[in-house]
This record gives sequence, structure tokens and C-alpha cells, in this order.
Amino acid sequence: MANEKVDAVIVGSGASGSVFAAVLAKAGKKVAVLEQGPDWQLSDLISSDFWGRRIKPAGGPFLLEGKNPVSYGYQGGWGVGGAALHYFANFPRLLPNDFRIKSEHNRAHDWPISYQDVAPYYDKVAQDIGVSGDAKAEEIWRPAGQRYPMPPMKTFRNGDIWLKGFQSVGIRMVPAAVGMNSTEFKGRPACIYDGWCHVGCPIGALANPLVTYLGDAKKAGAEVRPWSTVTRVLTNAQGTKVTGVEYYDRQKQRQVQEANVVVLAAWAAQNPRLLLNSATDKHAKGLANSNGLVGKYIMTHFSSGTLAIFDEDVENHMGTTGAQYMSYERYGKTAHKGAFGSTFIVAGTALKTSDLGGFANARVDLFGPELAAFMKRAARGFSRIGAFGEELPNIENRIELAGDKDEFGMPLGRIIHSYDDEVPKLWNANFEEGLAVAKAAGAKEMWSGRGAIPTIHLMGGTIMGAGAENSVVNSYGQTHEIPNLYVAGPGIFATGGASNPTYTIFALSLRGAEQLAANWSAVAG
Amino acid sequence: MQDIERRAFMKGAGLGAFAFTVGGAEVLLTPAAARAQGVPLRTLTAAQAAALDALGETLVPGARQAGISHFIDQQISGPADEALLEARILNVRPPYANFYRAALAAVDKASEAANNGRAFAQLTETEQRSLVDNIRQNKAEGWQGPAAPFVYFILRSDAVDVVYGTMEGYAGLGIPYMPHIAPTKRW
Repeated sequence: MANEKVDAVIVGSGASGSVFAAVLAKAGKKVAVLEQGPDWQLSDLISSDFWGRRIKPAGGPFLLEGKNPVSYGYQGGWGVGGAALHYFANFPRLLPNDFRIKSEHNRAHDWPISYQDVAPYYDKVAQDIGVSGDAKAEEIWRPAGQRYPMPPMKTFRNGDIWLKGFQSVGIRMVPAAVGMNSTEFKGRPACIYDGWCHVGCPIGALANPLVTYLGDAKKAGAEVRPWSTVTRVLTNAQGTKVTGVEYYDRQKQRQVQEANVVVLAAWAAQNPRLLLNSATDKHAKGLANSNGLVGKYIMTHFSSGTLAIFDEDVENHMGTTGAQYMSYERYGKTAHKGAFGSTFIVAGTALKTSDLGGFANARVDLFGPELAAFMKRAARGFSRIGAFGEELPNIENRIELAGDKDEFGMPLGRIIHSYDDEVPKLWNANFEEGLAVAKAAGAKEMWSGRGAIPTIHLMGGTIMGAGAENSVVNSYGQTHEIPNLYVAGPGIFATGGASNPTYTIFALSLRGAEQLAANWSAVAG
Repeated sequence: MQDIERRAFMKGAGLGAFAFTVGGAEVLLTPAAARAQGVPLRTLTAAQAAALDALGETLVPGARQAGISHFIDQQISGPADEALLEARILNVRPPYANFYRAALAAVDKASEAANNGRAFAQLTETEQRSLVDNIRQNKAEGWQGPAAPFVYFILRSDAVDVVYGTMEGYAGLGIPYMPHIAPTKRW
């Protein structure tokens, strides 16, 4: 039986898709959200690193290539809520300098919008879903805006202990802005600081989609359809409009969902894969890709972790997986001499024993009795700080289709990613400064968390710009080529800055969705 | 998830146990209990399990008794999208059994090459430790299989999981586990 045509079909139920679903459903549109994985509920979010892996992808359909292959398994989402079901909810925003890097430094490209265009949406998102922090304190680095609706979160010794060290090198730390409840907010309880955020917060103190925009969307009538794997976006015969999507249901049966508007919110790598796989005789290189830029300019963040053991009980099991303190003190693009790019600094993270972020991995060189001894010492005195660095967009870093196909006959994606020579400079500069901070903080042992340069937070691939000559979408996520086809999420970032991306994903999605709702007739007509 | 699936899933999670097949019926057991009761392995051979036990114990003392081979065997015997393995978040391509078979074969082959034909489980503790250190540093001669440091990292992570990732492991380190959804039994 054919599916009833809807006004909008949204591919993906994570941070960006949930915002589009809420805004459009509240505007009276009939909305279907297609999600490839299961329909998770809060009660599925077990406080365990074992069970937390179940809400992450199991072998996504991507081949990982290049000198610095993108590692997405830890951060990726699988199922309703997407990656935002288990994110850390650090909510730093991009700063004004991120939007004009070309103008100011003749590198990369400018965004087609300024910070001031996005700022009202940061404020709206904070009011919509709840942000805790101290906006006034942040204003030493950014223009003034609204206060956050909740005061900062509690801090613990594992965060406070670093403050003296940061002060000694001239880094001002302020309460971290986080998408978590320091107090009850809109009927959702306050955080209990047990540090299980990264496997999903079952009480809804953390602003995951289920308890925020996706919940709002469902209340407004949106249908969320799990186990629905979209494989193609469909177009009319002329190729001038999209008409819906093809997908496969849980029984692996082909389905078509017709719609007046299609929003791709499936992830920065999956959206280009879908666009490229939707080629027709009118769009031989894939949809929205006549300029060949679909899949290009993917970017990641890299972190320089400084790890230390203090001679006291720092209670590292207390707090949240997000940060207690943050700083934009090194956010200037040339803040580190001899290196280029922004750095965003965090301190105060609750730690678990196992999993990728567990403190057993603080010394991966240790095994056997030496590891057992380290675990005992670390349980009492281990803490770490992090500095996220910015990678500039490079057209060679890209997503393309591979020859092999998945179970639905759709070509796998290939993610090709290599860091340029600038990245190690910034990475190393942040390590050096981190060790200076640890020393001044009085750490008994300190070391840099080196190894392969990490690849965190995939962005780009469908970047925004002023026109079709240099980008795939406009600042609302609307493709230049097909007006009723939108792309949402970090894929539309023109550059990546160094801030955790989800707050900006929410803000840009809200801006795009409101524009779509306000211009519905012209777009969907 | 369908309701019935969720109930089954939650039941297992609450007990901190996994489904093992005993006498043709599925029962929920911790890997340590499965090992203690001699639950038959479904995918790993006896030799592979012996290698995995020895490797786990070399990497993290206590891993053998905690049931590392039963944990891995149970996890690689079901659908990939239900797996709770660290391999899942490190982008290992399913089926995960292929990775473990290749990794364990590589370890035994390297062991035999360096130790007059003796498999890893047959080495002395000192010899086991020496080979693991070489695997860690990508210095194991004649290595043929997935990248040696990656094998080290994955197997070490598995051993850490069963020893330190459980409620019992947290208690052993004196760390409050503080679950949102309280398990009814330690695992």
C-alpha cells in the first residue's frame, strides 16, 4: 500500500532533523521523519558503557580512507534521536571570527552570514531546550546576547583543581555552557551528576531530541518512522523539483514516501551519499551537484588532551561527560604563534573506567600488573583537560560513492580525509600549553594524550555559500539547484571553528526551518 | 524497539547478564557465570577461546575469570546491530567474528614463529608478556592479520570491559557506579 503523501519528509531524527520536524509540524505541516535505526525510548538508555554502544552505528556503510581516516563509530548515532541521543551536550557557540576567516586571514572561505545572523537562534534554542551557563561571563569573548535560562552546573574537584593552572598561563575559564539542566526546566528534572551522559540520559536532564524538539514534533502530529533506510531522493521528470524519497522498511521492502519538501538530515557523510546516489539523466552527477561540490570540504576537529594524576581524591566519577569550565582564550585564529586556527578549551569531565573515553585508555601503553596498579591510582587522582583545534576546509577531503554496495543495493560511501601541515602545529601547541597548565595546577604526574591525531565531529560535505559557484546550499540549508530540497546538520557548515558543533546545528536548523515555514508556498508550491 | 524486545533487552541489562544457550534454552548469565558453568561456546573454537583467555589475562589480570572468552563468543554470535563490543565504536566492519578469528590467528601464528611452534596459550607468562608488548609496538615478527597495535587495543579494551567496566569492577576500584537505571544485580 502506498504511503500517503506528506508535506515534508525529513531523513534523520537527530539534532537537525528534530528541529525541522518540530517547526514544520507546529506550522501545521504533515511531517514524516524517516529514521534508519530503532525507535529508542529514554528507558533504553542503560547506565553502562557496554549497553551504550547499542545506540551507535554497527559498521556504517562507509569506507574510511586518507592519511587521517575519519573515526565516527564512537560519535555516530543509530536510531531515533541520532547522535544527539548520547552527545556530551557541550554548547559552545561559534564566534564572529569563524564567519569571516577569508576576509580576515585570506584562508578558507567566509560564511554567507555573520555571527549576528545566528546569534538570535542560539538564544532561541537556549530557551527552547534549556541551556545552563553564564552568558555574561562569555561576553569577554563575544557580543552580548540573552542570558541562559538556567544558572551554571555544579562543579567538582576534578574541574576546580585545574583553575590555578589555567590562570598561570593567562587562560580565563568560565562556566561551561551545556545543554543540560542545572535546575528543573520545562518539567524535566535537574541533572544528578552521575557522569553517564555519553550513553544517554534516561531522566531527560540532558537535552536530547526525544525530550526536546522531537518530542515537540510528535506532539504536533509529526510521524517518526523507525527502521526506514532512505536510499534515494526522487525528482520530477524535468529534474526541477524533488518529489519524495525511496526507502526500505524493516522487512527490507522498497517504499516510496512522496512529499512536497525533502529535508536531508541524515548526517554529514550520509547526506552527500544520498545526493550522489540520486543521480538522474537531468542530474547526472547527483542532486545539487552540478558544480561538483557535493561531498567536498569535509572537516573534523582534533583534540589535544592533557592528562594528569593529582595527589588527592579528585572525585573524577562526579559531574557530567560535558565540561564544567570552558574558555575561548585561544580562539583567535592566530592565538598560537606559528600555528593557525581556533582552539576551544574545556576542563572538568566525569570519567568512567572503560570504553574509548574511560581512564583505562589514559595509558594505552600499560597492560598487565602495571595497568592494574595505574587503575587504582587513577581512580583516585586522575583528571584531564582538552583543547579542540580547527581544521580548515580542503576540497580534497571528501565523500564519494564506492563500488561496493550495501544490503539495499546502494553504493557504500568513501570518506577520504587527511590533515594538512597546519594541523600538527596547532595540535602540538595545545599539548605544550596543556602541560604548562598541569604543572602549574600541581599535578603529580602529567602527560600528553598523543597517538594518531583524532578526527572528531564530522562537518562539511554540503557547505553553505552565497551562490552555486562555491557551495551546495544557501545559509538556510536550501540547495541552490533544487528549491524544495534542503540539507540540515553540520554538513552545511562553511568552516568548522573549534567549538563542539551541536549548539550551532540546532541554531542553524531552527533558522532554516523557520525560513522554510515562512516561505512554504514559494518553496513547496 | 518493539515492546516485547525492549522488555527482553531491559531484563538482560538489569541483571547485567547476557543470553547464553544452555541445554537448548536461552538463559541470562554473566560471562563469569557462563564460564564457571562451562556453557558451550557457539562461535569460538576451544583453541581460540584458550588464546583469548590467555591474551585477556596478560592484558588485564582477572579477565579470564571474568569470562572474556564467553563474553566475546556471545557477542560475535548474534546480530552485529545488537553487539556491545568496543569494536563496534572503533569502526570494525561486521561480522565481528571475522575480526576476532583473524586477530587470534595472527597472535598464535606470531607466537608459533617466535616460540618453536607453541601457541600463545602454551607460553610462559613472561613469554606471553613479551609477545604482547611486541604486538603493542607493531614489532611482532611474521605478523599477518589486522594491524597489530589495533588488535592490541581492541583486545585490551575487551579485557578492560569485563574486568573494570562492570559494577563489580567499579566496586573493586572503590568508585561509586551511580547508575540512572539501577541494575538489580552486580555485573
